[in-house]
Amino acid sequence: MITKDIDTVAPAVPAPVADEPPQRPRKGRRAWDEAPRRQIYLPLGIYLLFTLVPFYWILLFALRPTGSTSLVPWPMTFEHFDKVWNDRSFGTYFENSVYVGLATLLMTTLVALAGGYALARFDFKVKRAFMLALLCSQFVPGALLLVPLFQIFAELQMINSLGSVILAETVFQLPLSMILISGFIRNVPYSLEEAAWVDGCNRFTGFRVVVLPLLRPGLIAVGSFAFVHSWNHFLFALMFLSDQEKQTIPVGLNSLMSADSVDLGALAAGGIVAAVPVVIVFAFIQKWLITGFSAGAVKG
Amino acid sequence: MRRRSSGARRSVTAVAVGAVLALTATACGDDGSGASGDKGAEGSGKGEITFWDNNGGVRTDIWKEIIADFEKANPDIDVKYVPIAATEYQSKVDTSIQAEGLPDVGGVGAAMLAGFAAQNALEPLDDRLGKSSLNGKLNDDMVKSLKAAGGGGAEDSTLYSVPTSANNGVLYYRTDLFEAAGLEAPTTWDAFYEAADKLTDKDDNAFGYTIRGGAGSIAQALDAMYGQSGITSFWDSANEKTTVDDPKNVAALEKYTGLFKKATPAADLNNDFTKMVAQWDSGTIGMLNHNLGSYQDHVKALGTDKFRGIPQPTGPGGKRVQVSNPVDGLGIFKTSKNKEAAWKFIEFATAAAQNSKFNESAGQVPSNTDAAKAAWVAKAEPTKLAAQALTDGSTTIVQLPYYLPDWNTISKTDNEPAFQKVLNGSLSEKEFLGTLADQLNEAQAEWNEQKG
Repeated sequence: MITKDIDTVAPAVPAPVADEPPQRPRKGRRAWDEAPRRQIYLPLGIYLLFTLVPFYWILLFALRPTGSTSLVPWPMTFEHFDKVWNDRSFGTYFENSVYVGLATLLMTTLVALAGGYALARFDFKVKRAFMLALLCSQFVPGALLLVPLFQIFAELQMINSLGSVILAETVFQLPLSMILISGFIRNVPYSLEEAAWVDGCNRFTGFRVVVLPLLRPGLIAVGSFAFVHSWNHFLFALMFLSDQEKQTIPVGLNSLMSADSVDLGALAAGGIVAAVPVVIVFAFIQKWLITGFSAGAVKG
Repeated sequence: MRRRSSGARRSVTAVAVGAVLALTATACGDDGSGASGDKGAEGSGKGEITFWDNNGGVRTDIWKEIIADFEKANPDIDVKYVPIAATEYQSKVDTSIQAEGLPDVGGVGAAMLAGFAAQNALEPLDDRLGKSSLNGKLNDDMVKSLKAAGGGGAEDSTLYSVPTSANNGVLYYRTDLFEAAGLEAPTTWDAFYEAADKLTDKDDNAFGYTIRGGAGSIAQALDAMYGQSGITSFWDSANEKTTVDDPKNVAALEKYTGLFKKATPAADLNNDFTKMVAQWDSGTIGMLNHNLGSYQDHVKALGTDKFRGIPQPTGPGGKRVQVSNPVDGLGIFKTSKNKEAAWKFIEFATAAAQNSKFNESAGQVPSNTDAAKAAWVAKAEPTKLAAQALTDGSTTIVQLPYYLPDWNTISKTDNEPAFQKVLNGSLSEKEFLGTLADQLNEAQAEWNEQKG
């Protein structure tokens, strides 16, 4: 009984004989070794199938000619990309989305850094109430605030300006970003900053030299989250921007669907134009993103 | 050890944050209400006006062409064109009404007219039309339809929108599949059901029909119901109780929904028009009910020799009954500061030449009677047949109550999920129509009460 258990759990490996060629592992053992791989790759493959089929569908419609019912994009055409980029102004929408995304990223990160530092390092009377307000603000849907926001931006002469979208996006991103950043800053020992002050740094220099480099994963997580959210967000751009030259990618995508007709090829090509930057951003930063979020989650 | 911040530092931080936020307030924005001047003014008839297209995107090119022609003819007026997707138009206008950010001119179709008029957002246009060269040149039925939809409910109510085009329900069918099966064109409901049955071969992924089970399902179901029952009015003679739950309509709906899964793909349960059209254009499905708007999509996908678009089948006694499709139009918003220029633009866009150009591109029935005589109308068969059906007396139109402010809620939000239950078999047709009738009767009673 004991022998059988040992064989099953940890099969003995015969000692190699000098003049004999190395023996192949037995079939049973190979199957045992490979079982965990199957257990990983099978569900992963099924999951990927579900995930990738819609992407393949988008690629198929974007690359095959109008009217084709082929299941492979052959003959391949780029007419839909040409149409959305040149005729449907996606080049302009793309530039606007990049501008909005980068500006939101920059402003969210800067303000969240300052606010997060204050939350992490200072005690003040209304700190708890402030944290609670930050959390509660996450429960208010943007659509509810459209009318007051529109009126505020109209008073500020900011309607039909990308600044209105950037400001609205930044404000909506800030609560979560500040909470995340404050968690990262709390993880940096305060004594490190104090040591910097002893060495002659003021608070800002101490923060810049000692704390900031340690926040890189957190900053990348917060920044990428802000960028992707503003890149995909539709409502503010739809409501606050009027000129076609100022609209963003999500609004442009929406405009490819009319009340009675839809150009699926153009829609798919537009979808790829919209998705590619986000995919590239994630491909480059995924390591930092995961590190950032897990650090915030575990230690924050 | 934590340190308490000083008041001075807090102030500095607040100022810094404020400064960063203020940097985004670039100088290129505006106050959201168009050109300068007093709100709601007649204006000088010159300067800039803003036009919101209620079906932006696919019609952007043709509108830009019309606007270029207009600016050439009126060099002292600039038109700022804003394309807005049809799906988002109502919410954008509703928000802008509250936020006082409306444009000068906007697309105002019958389906949205009652809501905008109820919010007092639209300028009455009867006097302007009366004095215009357009007077007498616009299709009477379309004008009446928009007047009725404007909240008055009667054909002699106030006109808030000048018609540009009419859509119409079309039965598209695959001529190649019909010929192969030896079937005649589905011009009657009996022929329709026979073809739906004969063209279905599930093993070969071939179906006779594609039913609309998702967004927009109610209007299509109503069209099929009234077309088969032959009932010609949406309300009883007292104009208080709807006829949707009439036993003839219940029987017609039972027959129609009976096609689901028997002669249609099971995926039709979630079909909105996008999926329905894409499925028909790329698959082996015999028939599709949609409107003139998708004609060009079918041409691109199938060419002109594999399908036809004909008016809805005829019902009892060879008579054709259809429900009304929303007439589209252009309106002036009350807050416009340059109504004179806005009206000039509407006049220009609905005059024969531009109206013809627009409708040729959109594949719809022109509102201008001279434009309706253009050569392209005779060449585009579905448009020609639809125009004939709407004007030659062969078709009775059941006017849907677009004037009810609750119509969109009742016909979409409240009842589209219920229609899916009917298709699934978890709700009977009679129960479904009974509930729908109760909601409509209540809305009609409220409206009658408000109207006095």
